[in-house]
Order: sequence, then C-alpha cells, then structure tokens
Amino acid sequence: MRNKFQYFSVGLITTWLCIFGLLSFLVMVVMSFLQHDPDHIALWHFTLQNYEDLFDPIFFKIFIKSFYIAFMVTAACLLLGYPFAYIISRLPERLQNTALLLLLLPFWTSSVVRTYAMMSLLKTKGLLNTALLSLGLIHEPLQILFTNTAVAIGLIYNLLPFMILPIYVNLERFDISLIEAAKDLGAKYTTIFRKVIIPLSIPGIVGGCTLVFLPAMTLFFISDLLGGAKALLLGNLIEDQFLMANNWPRGAATSVLLTVIMAIGLLIYWFKSNKRINYDAAI
Amino acid sequence: MKKWVFMWLSLFFSVALADDNVVNVYAWSQEVSPKVVMQFQKDTGIKVNFSTFDSNEALYAKMKASKQTQYDVVEPSSYYISRMARENMIEKLDRSKLSNYGNLNPAFTHPDYDPTGEYSIPWVLGLTGIVVNRKYYPHDKLEKWTDLWSPKYRDSLLLLDDPREVFNIGLLTLGYSPNENNLQHLQQAYQNLVALLPNVRLYNSSSVPSLLIDEDVTIGMAWNADVYKASLQNPNIEFIYPKDKFVIWVDCFVVPTNAPHRENAYRFLNYVLQAKIAAMQVKETFYPTANLAARAYLPPEIANSKILSPSPEVLSQGYFQTDLNDNALDAISRYWQLLKLQ
Repeated sequence: MRNKFQYFSVGLITTWLCIFGLLSFLVMVVMSFLQHDPDHIALWHFTLQNYEDLFDPIFFKIFIKSFYIAFMVTAACLLLGYPFAYIISRLPERLQNTALLLLLLPFWTSSVVRTYAMMSLLKTKGLLNTALLSLGLIHEPLQILFTNTAVAIGLIYNLLPFMILPIYVNLERFDISLIEAAKDLGAKYTTIFRKVIIPLSIPGIVGGCTLVFLPAMTLFFISDLLGGAKALLLGNLIEDQFLMANNWPRGAATSVLLTVIMAIGLLIYWFKSNKRINYDAAI
Repeated sequence: MKKWVFMWLSLFFSVALADDNVVNVYAWSQEVSPKVVMQFQKDTGIKVNFSTFDSNEALYAKMKASKQTQYDVVEPSSYYISRMARENMIEKLDRSKLSNYGNLNPAFTHPDYDPTGEYSIPWVLGLTGIVVNRKYYPHDKLEKWTDLWSPKYRDSLLLLDDPREVFNIGLLTLGYSPNENNLQHLQQAYQNLVALLPNVRLYNSSSVPSLLIDEDVTIGMAWNADVYKASLQNPNIEFIYPKDKFVIWVDCFVVPTNAPHRENAYRFLNYVLQAKIAAMQVKETFYPTANLAARAYLPPEIANSKILSPSPEVLSQGYFQTDLNDNALDAISRYWQLLKLQ
C-alpha cells in the first residue's frame, strides 16, 4: 500500500515537472532555432539567426549590466542573510519556528503588490522621505524611486528569504561539537568562523546564491515599476522580445542562453566540490 | 480562451444586430463619457452598444478581421484615419446629414491626415509639450525641446512610454517633420535621442498626473490634459508649448464602410457635434475639444486655460500626426527597443 502511494506521488510530481518544466523548456529550445515571422508566432524553418543576433553589442551590454546587478544583489543578500540565518539557527526551537513564520509572512501577498507598496515608501513624498525629513536627518527629499538603487532595494527585499532559507537549513544541522573542538584546540573565533563554519555551510551558500542570482536577472516587473520602465535586467529584454517586438524565437534564444550560462555555473561547482566536502579538507 | 471570448462577443452582437434601433460605438477608453452616451439614449431612444479599446492597433485588427463590420461608429487616432481611408475601411461622410458640423473649429476640419475632411469628425485632441515644476526649476529658460538636452537635467526627465511620441521630439529637434518616412532621418533622430538618454529618469504614459502631483518627476514631456489635471492640485506645475514645434493628436469619429446602422451612426455623430455635448465631455475628462462652439458652455477656468486652449498662433505651430509606411514603423520600433535597453 505504502509503495503504491509512493509510486503515485513520485509519478505525479515527475509528470507535472515533465509537462510544465521540461516540455515547456524544450518548446523554447525548439522555438529558438525557428525563423521569426511577423504574422505568426514563428516560421517552421531552421536557423541560427536568433543566436547570432544576441552577439549584438547592445545585447552584450545588457547581459553585462544584468550580471553586475544580479551579482551585487546576490552579494548583498549573502551579507545580510548569512548572519540572519546563523542567528535563527542558534535560537531555541520555538523561537526558530516563529522567526521562520515571520520570514515567510510577506509571501502571503503577491510580490507585485509588495512592489507597489515599495513605490509608495520610496516616493519623493513617500513614507521614508517624510520620516527622515521630520527627524531632521535630511533637508532635501532623497530621490530614490526610478533609479538603479530602487531596483536593487526591491530585488534584495524580494529575494532575501531565498538566501536565508537554504543557509538556515544547512546551519541548523551544524554539529556544535565541532566548534567546541576547535575552541579546545585554541582557535580564535574568527578562525573558527573562517575555517570551520563557512566551509561546512558552503552547500547552503551555493544553494542560496543560485536561488537569488537567476531571479535577480529576470524579475522584470521590479525594474519596470521601481526603475521607471527602463530595461535594466535580462528579464526586461526577454519580456520585450516576446511582447513588444513580437519576436518569440529571439526571446526564446535569450532565455535558453541564460539557462545554459546558469547550468555551466552549476556544473563547475558540482565538479569542483566533488560531491561532498569532507571534514579533513575543511580543517 | 480567445475563441470563447469571440463566440460570446459575436453572439452578443448578433442579438444586437437583430434589434434595429441601436448604434454600435467602439471608442478609446475614457474618451466618451458615459454621461454623453446616456444623454443620447434618453434624447433619441436609440440604444448604444458601447465598447472600448486601448490601442489603434487593436481597433485596426478587429476591423480587418471580419468583412462585414459590426460597428457603426469607431474612433481611431488621426494617423490611422489616412490608413483606413486608403484601404477603403471607412466611408466618406454625407455632410447634409450633419447639421451641427459648423460647430467645429476650422483649424481641425482640413488636417493633414484627412485633407478634405470628408472622412472624419474630430472629437478630442491633445498636445504634447514640456511640463515643468517651477518649485524645482524657478528660473530655467525652457522654450524648446532642445532645452531638455541640457546636462543640468541629468537623470530627471519624464518621457512618454510611447515610441512615436518620443521619436517626434527626436525628429523635431533636428528640424524634421514628425511624420518622417526617410530611414536616414529616423536614424539621425535615434542618435539624437541616445544623447538625451542620460537625462531620462523614467518612461510612463498611464499615470502621469499622479507622478507630477507627488513631484516624483519635475520635468519632462507630457500631454496637456494630464498636465492640466495635475496643475489643479499642484499650482507649481507649468505647461510649455515648445517653440521648435510640437505634435497634435486628434481622435476622430468615423463610419466604417457598410456600417449596419448607418442612419443611427449619423444621428449619433450629429448629436455629439452639438456644442453642449462636446462641453459635457470636456468637463469630464479635460481633453480639449475640436468643437469651437463648445467654449460658450465651458466654465471660464477651462475655457481660458492656457494649457487646454492654446491661442491660434500657438496652435499653428503644431503638426498633425499622419500615418507612416511599414518600413518607417519597423525602424521606429527597433530603435525604440534599443533606446530602452541602453
């Protein structure tokens, strides 16, 4: 009985992922090799033109810009998220659950709605400026909305939980006796952190970075709303190809390229990490 | 999904067609006030089936999709009228049935997009100019579009999120017509706009009044009705008609060829040509009207507003937007994409 249920649930999820994950991705891969046709979605004719188009310097520029923003956002999320995850993982268990609940609370509303709320915070006459002005901390309202800073704030806010959760899961299972052992052997706290805690939580860090980096390049509505509809992210480029230029094949090629780049990054990590970090190598 | 919507719509219209005393009107959203529609139904006993669209492209595609049109009156923008007339999609109007035609401002009865004025009845219009908040730029000399290229406006301009509007200023500042089909001139305009990019803060055309009122942008390009709305709440906001010319858009009523209820279409057109009705519309949405006689029915603050009712000398500086050929439109849409990506 239990076996049947197992087969059923695993089978269901596999089918679901095959249809909506793999199949739709394959459609995009096929689409990216078809010819653009203004009157139809695509013309059934093999071509490499869509990928050649991506070597345009303008597209290259937006790739670089998008990578830069995603890199900074990931770094900021890591710097903010790591200590946060560490502190949660050291709390008593009941408080841990409350902290996790609070962390996930914002997900109860859609992130588009939260981004609109963010706009009213950052506006010239928004909450932030009003508060800072009345406290006398600034004399001129800060112009944050519709700048790259606003986009970065929006991205970090939206993606921070995706960095904290994998690191927390990793640190929660961390064996405290390793720290005690290091202390007994006379290691200073910074050394323990650098040589014991960090190397052992690398899988969590990599997991978090992967979950943050890709969305940071593709959450186009954040740069549409907070960045003033200037296309900053690769997601805007893809959105634009599909919706504005009505060029599905080139849009598909752009997103396939993005997937390939991410896959290469993960493969490098996978081979270098050689499956598991052993304690010897860490110490 | 689309098929279902279409089936329901056609069912709806086949019922509507069966009833004789109706007129099917298809217009820009927010440009025909429900008040006007209701008043028409009350006064004439003709039922109005009213539906709206948000882009000329949608209207054009719908009219092209079926041979026998369902609509009796549609409201395209000026530059689509030349295209529709060329493709025999709309008919020449019979002036003898439009006794109120004389109410129209003669400045709008022979526009470039309909030189003989035979196809279209101008309804609402707008002008694209420079908007500035004088609290932030009290003494700046802003007379021309080219002034916006000044480095002191770095990262502060509002541009309309509309490719043709933005290309209009790219072309006008080079001394070209906004209705340019010459690909070389369009490329120059693109390069000219690239030079403007460091000054651009955001692109937006749907929530301009609130952006201006809250001072999230303090300078840029905007439609005069939006600026008027904002200036009612924020007196520092000023609208400037650029001396290096500007563009006037006009949305007009036309009658499709083979309209099912032609007589009712004419009654509708003649009805909205009345000065009182045109004034009713202006009071609702603030879009200026081409109906000169309507001025008498407008409150003085609207009738005398420099933003909404420019003098004839100023108006003569405006260009009517006309249709471009497909090559030029393709070029603009490609350049637009590149502009946004930089």
